[in-house]
Amino acid sequence: MIVSELHLMTPELSLLGFALVVILLDLFIKQKKVLAGVSIAGLIVSAGFTLAMWGAPTIDIFYAMLAVDRFALFFKFLLLAAAGLIILASQDYVSKFERFQGEYYALVLISAVGMMLLTAAADLISIYVALELSGISLYVLASFLKDQKSTEAGLKYLLLGAVASAVLLYGMALVFGLTGKTCLLCIADVVETMPIAGLLDNPALLLGIILLAAGFGFKIACVPFQMWVPDVYEGAPTPITAYLSVASKAAGFAVIVRVFFVALGAPSWLSIDWGILFAILSAITMTLGNVVAIVQTNIKRMLGYSSIAQAGYLMVGLATVGVAVGADALGRSGLLFFLMSYAVTNLGAFIAVIAISNKIDSDLIGDYTGMGKRAPLLAVALTLCLVSLIGLPPTAGLIAKIYIFNAAVHHGLLWLVIVAVINSCISAYYYLRVVKVMWLGAPVSEEKVPSSWALRASLSLCCLGVLLLGVIPGSFVGMAEAAVRIFGS
Amino acid sequence: MTYHIPWIVFLLPLFSFIIISFILRPFLNYRPKLGGYVTIGAIGAACALSFWLLVEVLSAPGHKLEIPDIQWLLIGDLSIHIGLMVDALTAVMLIVVTIVSLTVQIYSQGYMHGDPGYHRYYAFMSLFTACMLGLVMADNLVFLYLFWEGVGLCSYLLIGFWFHRPAAADAAKKAFIVTRLGDFGFLAAILFLFYKTGTFDIGELHGLAIAGTLTGTTLTWVAIGIFAGAVGKSAQFPLHVWLPDAMEGPTPVSALIHAATMVAAGVFLVARFFPLFENSEMALTSVAVIGGFTAIFAATMGLVMTDIKRVLAYSTISQLGYMMLGLGAGGIAIGIFHLFNHAFFKALLFLGAGSVNHSTGTFDMREMGGLRKAMPWTYATFLIASLSIAGIWPLSGFWSKDEILVSSFANNPILFYLAMITVFMTAFYMFRAVFLTFGGEYRGGASSEHGSHGAHQLHESPKVMVIPLVVLAALSIFSGWLNVTGRFDEFLGHGEVHSFTQGFFGILTHPLPWISLILAGSGILLAYAMYSAKWLSAEAIGKAFSPFYALFSRKYWFDELYERVIVGRVLVDGLFAGCGFFDSRGVDGAVNGVADGTAAAGRALRQAQSGQLQVYAMAIAVGIVAIMVCFYLFG
Amino acid sequence: MLADYGYIGLLLIVAILFTVSMPLLALSLSFLGIIPRKSNPDKTSTYECGMETIGKTWVQFNFRYYLYAIIFVALDVLTVFLYPWAVNLKELGLLGLISVAVFFAILVVGYIYAWRKGALEWK
Repeated sequence: MIVSELHLMTPELSLLGFALVVILLDLFIKQKKVLAGVSIAGLIVSAGFTLAMWGAPTIDIFYAMLAVDRFALFFKFLLLAAAGLIILASQDYVSKFERFQGEYYALVLISAVGMMLLTAAADLISIYVALELSGISLYVLASFLKDQKSTEAGLKYLLLGAVASAVLLYGMALVFGLTGKTCLLCIADVVETMPIAGLLDNPALLLGIILLAAGFGFKIACVPFQMWVPDVYEGAPTPITAYLSVASKAAGFAVIVRVFFVALGAPSWLSIDWGILFAILSAITMTLGNVVAIVQTNIKRMLGYSSIAQAGYLMVGLATVGVAVGADALGRSGLLFFLMSYAVTNLGAFIAVIAISNKIDSDLIGDYTGMGKRAPLLAVALTLCLVSLIGLPPTAGLIAKIYIFNAAVHHGLLWLVIVAVINSCISAYYYLRVVKVMWLGAPVSEEKVPSSWALRASLSLCCLGVLLLGVIPGSFVGMAEAAVRIFGS
Repeated sequence: MTYHIPWIVFLLPLFSFIIISFILRPFLNYRPKLGGYVTIGAIGAACALSFWLLVEVLSAPGHKLEIPDIQWLLIGDLSIHIGLMVDALTAVMLIVVTIVSLTVQIYSQGYMHGDPGYHRYYAFMSLFTACMLGLVMADNLVFLYLFWEGVGLCSYLLIGFWFHRPAAADAAKKAFIVTRLGDFGFLAAILFLFYKTGTFDIGELHGLAIAGTLTGTTLTWVAIGIFAGAVGKSAQFPLHVWLPDAMEGPTPVSALIHAATMVAAGVFLVARFFPLFENSEMALTSVAVIGGFTAIFAATMGLVMTDIKRVLAYSTISQLGYMMLGLGAGGIAIGIFHLFNHAFFKALLFLGAGSVNHSTGTFDMREMGGLRKAMPWTYATFLIASLSIAGIWPLSGFWSKDEILVSSFANNPILFYLAMITVFMTAFYMFRAVFLTFGGEYRGGASSEHGSHGAHQLHESPKVMVIPLVVLAALSIFSGWLNVTGRFDEFLGHGEVHSFTQGFFGILTHPLPWISLILAGSGILLAYAMYSAKWLSAEAIGKAFSPFYALFSRKYWFDELYERVIVGRVLVDGLFAGCGFFDSRGVDGAVNGVADGTAAAGRALRQAQSGQLQVYAMAIAVGIVAIMVCFYLFG
Repeated sequence: MLADYGYIGLLLIVAILFTVSMPLLALSLSFLGIIPRKSNPDKTSTYECGMETIGKTWVQFNFRYYLYAIIFVALDVLTVFLYPWAVNLKELGLLGLISVAVFFAILVVGYIYAWRKGALEWK
């Protein structure tokens, strides 16, 4: 019975309701700060519903279109937190587009709904619908500044997103054609009974898998589907850049993990093959991201490439398939933990950049010189986040890397870990360059860089998260492990 | 429940740090008082809980609380444990750290009043206290080393608290670098120990040393390495040069960090690893010799300093030397007992100096004088502390100092004579400071270290500063009485009683205390003759002993030796130049080659990022085809 | 396996042959004179249904048309859902009514939005 299943969708439904309220309120009130408050309230309510469902048993609803399990709830919570931080951090930024503040908040909420559905989607069709719901909101948000760069960013994102959607649909069509099913569990049943011993003997399935990987690869920005990242990240409003780099990427990883591990995970001849695919893409992605990040002079572009590199580290978790020595689901829980750590760290870095760039009106790393004296608080926070992105103690980044690399070693991917560690060393160069410029450079002016309390609150929360995950990771590891338990092991 | 208390004690100041730096400083910076209240509340609670722990430890079997480890991280089969240990040594240190920290924080409310960095100050102070508590409770070397560096970092941050002053920034750097030299030895010892034994757990290491598994050269080297760390932290010869400069920090910082707690961490470290030292004759002797030598060496420099904080700094080095001597010659209980007493009276002396500065605006004793009438409370408490450090019966300093003297007498007569001379010197320089500061007439003053006073009148400090002085003064009188019956020694030691003659008055039946009292008394008398009654001219004596005067006041030219000769000639011109040559030609060439190559690759790859939408879409298509082809070629 | 590819190959060959042969056929017929070559204005004109265009076809439409079009599409989609619901009104009962009401409410929000933003005004 469908109606009784509606209460399992309360996180999404309540958030959607709040998005509509925001749109309506925007029409009738002058004081736009209220809208931010309502949006935050909506996120908190939704998070409350999500939290309340954490203990409930796993269940598929709406004819197996959506799954309500801890994996989805984990991601929903992560996405809600990211959206909340973004809205808080946008408080200074929204003054740049005074006319459409209501739409801005509503679109952030609606894209959050889309991503939440995406993490819960258990059927190719619902996956596609959720993907488009989140995607279209994000296309609009990317072009929200309406200047040339932002419009270009939005248009590029839209067109390439459409290409990626087409590719994804083609992949889904092939998989559906071969299995006759769209629901992930049903596909798994069919695939398991396939009488073949290698993907090469079934070119259509191989092509389907590659196209699926490409379509989702666009979302997580892995090589060679990452070309849009620097242009879009640079042009989009910075809070949206942060949102794209964290929430959209997290949702992308959620859906990849679910599709590949649930639908295509079972026969080892299959999973080994796409495991190798992800391992190789992971190595290329992190290397390319780091190497190109070195020569960037714009901090938003640098963080863009850095987020590509981080996606490379995250994909190490996707490569951990097959029988492992020791615990089996380590790679996936490592991936989830890494995403948590990456979310707080990257959001923190972007929020600090928002605060600084908004006031000095420049995104160039060179203009950050002497920021340690002009905005010590922001500089400390940015330093902490960059240190975490490198993966140094006592931050979240270190634990996350230890976790996911440890998993990779268990799965016999020592070569990949070596590549990743070398990459981490390379990355230290460009992250620390920013730190150096901020603390050792002479300030260009004595003027202090002020920031609003909302921005400082979001930044404080991020830094707190970075430190908490780095110092007491135990309970977070437990959450990640509980979330991946749905895959069995 | 008891299991959680050590954690709470440690976390309270840490949370205070987090609250101040993440909530108060960003959002409530206009209400600086809050930071002070949070810190005082947290440390006050930690102090109360420390007393509880002390009671627990007193009643626990073997004076050791069993605290189960906490699993910090479990990923698959990778399991990392962390734990705290609370034994007699820890319990005593907890009391010292929390009491001194609490009084210093209360005092700072008055002293730092109106400073723009008020929140920053309390944030660092909380962090320091947390690290220090972690250091004394750590049950493994990794944790210990982490907090060891943590207190060093806080010390660096707080010495350079007024970083806009070049002297402060330089002093901070100097402290950091010099202690790092010692830490290098400590780290090497830790790694060597792990390599040899495969464990970081302190309890296990004790067991190995006691069982005799860890012996011979290995043990000696390890002990020497650990002692090197202690030498750096406790400013023992030859790494003593940083501590006097560290006085550039705010005075309450000097009281807490550079007098009572952090510098005593070196002594604590040796005590913590005492079972290792005990089994190595050579290591134990080095501790005693370095300690004894530093005691007299630093005291000579203290004789001639004109800056009151520097007198106290050299006095601290000297007293730390005493503690080392006590450890080396006597044992844990004797060294730590002096640490315990010293913490209170030395913190009191520093806070008194800060109080004087608050009123006169200077640390130069030549510009003070006559403060006895204007600042009666400061005078009285400072006098008590001076009597205590000089070792006058029945104040606390007397009890611990005489134990050290007796044990060194039994152990090494040369060190005993040096220590006896030091007793005389200590009494002299402390009372020189007392008479110059509080006796005679007022001689001027200058601008205050925190610049809040312009033209000023002499005045007693506010209550919030005086009350901590009184509390510490009481402790400076009574803390020594804990060992009158030998109880303290029993508690800390391995069961044997060190106190050589028991009883409050009983001790006076022994000749040795009388000798030391006479020496101390004559030191005071000499100071009185020179600086108060002016029977002897200080200038004339200075001239008569001018070579010594120059030697002492230029600090044996150690700063020059280090800066010009070792750093300048040997390192910069010799070693660094040589390394630099190799570095620029060899290593740099390779590194630059790699870096340039990477950067060139980056530039080349950036070309692909043309901004052309069609190219991007093409990349997707080509990527898919390429993956497909690769599967067929290599799959 | 190979046979499957064989079929694909066969189809490919047929496809190529077809595309190449058809224009060739037309050209050769015309070359042979089987197709008459008499030109007149009607024949050379672009084939279009309806009326002849007047003026340039590259005119800009007022963008308000698009707003109306989008709003119309939304309404249209609503209608698409309303018809089947109306037909089965009784069977679907209260649940159906609530579902449609929710759906309707969401669209109404859209209309209010468009209205307040002035999208329905033709200035």
